[in-house]
Amino acid sequence: MSLKILSQDLRVIRTTGEMTLRQAAVSPFIIFTVLVQPLLVAMLALWMLADKKTNDGIYVVVGTGMSGLWSSLLFICGNSITVERWTGTLEALVATPANISVIVFGKNLANVLQSLASMVVCYLVAALLFNYQITVDQPLLFIISLLLTVIAFVSFGLILGPLFLLSPAVQNFQNGIEFPIYILAGFLFPIALLPNWTTPLSYLLAPYWAARALHVASSVGGTFSEIAFCWAMLILFSVIYLVGSRYLFRAVMYRVRVDATLGLE
Amino acid sequence: MNAIEVQHLRRVYRTNIGVIRRKVKEVVAVEDISFDVRPGELFGLLGPNGAGKTTTVKMLTTLLIPTSGTATILGHDVVKDAQLIRSRIGFIFGGDRGLYWRLSGYDNLRYFSSLYHVEPEVSKKRIPYLLDLVGLADRGQEKVEGYSRGMKQRLHVARTLLHDPELLFLDEPTIGLDPVGARDLRLMVRNLQAEHKTILLTTHYMFEADALCQRIAVVNHGKLIALDTPEALKQDVKDLSVIELEVFGVSVDTIEALRALPHVTTVSIEDRDQTQALLVHSPHGSEALPDVMNCLNGIKIGKVVVREPTLEDAYVRLVEGHAS
Repeated sequence: MSLKILSQDLRVIRTTGEMTLRQAAVSPFIIFTVLVQPLLVAMLALWMLADKKTNDGIYVVVGTGMSGLWSSLLFICGNSITVERWTGTLEALVATPANISVIVFGKNLANVLQSLASMVVCYLVAALLFNYQITVDQPLLFIISLLLTVIAFVSFGLILGPLFLLSPAVQNFQNGIEFPIYILAGFLFPIALLPNWTTPLSYLLAPYWAARALHVASSVGGTFSEIAFCWAMLILFSVIYLVGSRYLFRAVMYRVRVDATLGLE
Repeated sequence: MNAIEVQHLRRVYRTNIGVIRRKVKEVVAVEDISFDVRPGELFGLLGPNGAGKTTTVKMLTTLLIPTSGTATILGHDVVKDAQLIRSRIGFIFGGDRGLYWRLSGYDNLRYFSSLYHVEPEVSKKRIPYLLDLVGLADRGQEKVEGYSRGMKQRLHVARTLLHDPELLFLDEPTIGLDPVGARDLRLMVRNLQAEHKTILLTTHYMFEADALCQRIAVVNHGKLIALDTPEALKQDVKDLSVIELEVFGVSVDTIEALRALPHVTTVSIEDRDQTQALLVHSPHGSEALPDVMNCLNGIKIGKVVVREPTLEDAYVRLVEGHAS
């Protein structure tokens, strides 16, 4: 890739991200998904823990933040393509020389970053409303884990993006996969509580390794080797998603031009 | 080298119908169309709704893959070289969709200029210039959701000129615009042609095609039924006169009776607000009028005019002739 193309792609990512955030700031649906829904999940979880007098506040903060990230990726990133189709801008985007995967990357990055607000909301609720002492045991490792989580989620979004490009009907399956991933990725409780046969499924999900890295880095007693293993898995899955998305986008972009599903006529 | 070369282009849409016993239904939108557009030419693609104009434009703008046939844009194949073509063409699809309503006009242009890889230094100068060109300099910082349809259409024009494309596809650009807005847009199209841009314009407004286009291709039911200059197309109906009658409530049976009259070649009807305009083509002009009036016995008739044929009449004859 030449330096010129790289610079053009980075500009596309930056402007796509900026325009996505500008539009999100005035969208009630996005405000609900990023702020209100995680707030409700956090309050529910904190009430359940209130009688146990444990120091699990950080677990809930991280878990709720992860659920916000996942909902945001699934609904906001996916819906953004559907909305583009409804409003007729999808054809306008595809007809530009910019690579559609780069545009989707910019959208996903903006959506994932804005959904980190879920974690902040939950932190404030736990600290101010429920008086939890919230501390992150290994702050540096937590920040690195968060960074790798963002990259993994954005990459995972590049696998989801082409599916939403393919057909508006994919939207019908969104609700069906939201909560299974919550549970399988161990956002709010350990996957050890699940039947054994589900464990391999969890291991195949980047959100599981992200949640585990963040939980271990934030809770007392986490070891570096355990966190490093999670990082390795996050990097591995990010690379797999990025490489896979390259082929997926190419196949889907050909298919949508054959099937005429870019616009709604 | 021609700007556009289209050879035997065909496009079939396939849809699934039924729930349990699913069947594939095929609709032929474009059937074996061939034409070319010369550099700097303003070429019209004319046809009624559903004739295949938009499908043709979508194939030429790389948004659809032809079922068969070939098309090249500035020497590049629309299927294999889509990415190369996209940086050299611009397009407008009629209507007010295709813009980000929650962003300002300026931000819409800023976003698309990055997608078209316009250098930031260039776009900083070009966006204010284009906003001024389309008469939106004062409203550029406002959100698009507050724009009128005409303003949105003008913003589309600015968007499509951001990267200074050599070739423009304008798909019914004046549809839904008020007369003043439509006139302004036609003026813009004329100015673009003066800048030697190649333009493919689709429309079903005859006067628009007559006023702007150097050559016109008429399509109906996906097929190319005529291709010539507006003057040459008008020659086809030179031998005819047009009897235009303002009528109220003409039945299908009456129209069929008119079509059956000797010396009547074409009959068409258009709805115009509270009335209908009945157009009867005949080589005998006013001599055919008594027979026509006999057929309309009992029907309220307003103004009656016998006039020379226009491009619209040539178009009606072509389309009606093709349909029959």
